[in-house]
Amino acid sequence: MLKTVLTIFFIICVAVLGGGASVWYMLNSKESVGAVTIGRWTAFPEIGTPDADPYAKARIAREGVLALGRAEGLTFTAQRDAAGDPLRRECSYTIEGPVPPARFWTVYAADADDAIIESRKLRPSALHSYQLLRRPDNSVTIAAGADPSPGNWLAVSGTGRMSFVLTFYDTPIASSTGVSDIELPEIINAGCDD
Amino acid sequence: MTRLLYSAFVALVGAAIVHITVLLLLPHFSDRDAWARLAEAADYYKPVRIDAAAGEVPIVRSLDPLFYASACRFDLADGPVHVQAPGNVPFWSVSIYNRGGQNVYAFTDRATDTGQLDVVALSAAQMIETRKQLPDAFRNSILVEAPVGLGIIVVRVFVPDQSWQPTATRFLRNVACSRS
Repeated sequence: MLKTVLTIFFIICVAVLGGGASVWYMLNSKESVGAVTIGRWTAFPEIGTPDADPYAKARIAREGVLALGRAEGLTFTAQRDAAGDPLRRECSYTIEGPVPPARFWTVYAADADDAIIESRKLRPSALHSYQLLRRPDNSVTIAAGADPSPGNWLAVSGTGRMSFVLTFYDTPIASSTGVSDIELPEIINAGCDD
Repeated sequence: MTRLLYSAFVALVGAAIVHITVLLLLPHFSDRDAWARLAEAADYYKPVRIDAAAGEVPIVRSLDPLFYASACRFDLADGPVHVQAPGNVPFWSVSIYNRGGQNVYAFTDRATDTGQLDVVALSAAQMIETRKQLPDAFRNSILVEAPVGLGIIVVRVFVPDQSWQPTATRFLRNVACSRS
């Protein structure tokens, strides 16, 4: 009798705790179904639309996000550099390479909670394509880090993990099916302050 | 041994059921979603700034720092909702979200011929009525048939640099969100 009761108790505990914990884990992990990955950049073209998967729907409900529509733009985030190491605020990075067609795009650094990292200098904390210097082949090179740098400099401050957020506005890549065919810049580690 | 394996199996199936149930129910019971946060900040048809420009915690997360944004909640059961904003900014976009915060319709200033923000969201039945006799107030409006009852309209404005901040702030302050 006691054995049966204990077994049922064990089953209920595992079911409730395991089920709850697995949902919590899935919603906190940055990877998800429906992601499009290009190099180190990840985008969720369907997040925030009625076509999104149940995990994306639960995530936007829990985090209170109002995602960009497809006609507005598409956001890519990168958590790691080209070598596969996590991005850190103590390090300098070079973001360089081609960018897909868009009316304009913005790039900024975000902390572990997806909030913008303030530059703490007389510099804007985010860059946009109208103000960037370009190479003759229309590609861009952006230096991101705490130390000032010539050319395009994205000022970052503090310590800890970070991610880069790259958003293209009014772009055909968001509405066409060829999201996976585009090329995005590489993130190269240019040294760390340790 | 068999009994232990059997109960472990049942526990796993139970965990899967709990997982799916929690996942599907979460959007309906979340008190932290965009709608709930906006409801705390302002009433229906009252545009409220949702970005972090005022130095406060933004109402809605994960907004581009180079953007200002304003949102108002509406209920199509009260009639079509009309959103207007005079003025010129480098880029604006309008998104219509349903009650769950899912983007059901979006367009940018390039979708208009004059660049002026003037949009009316209506239900399918209201669209038929409006088409019969287009009211003068809607003559220059973009009519959007939105498959929602309760919803949120968000206006986003691009702020390229500090010199545009007053213009963008004025543009969003003049956003009128009214039922008609």
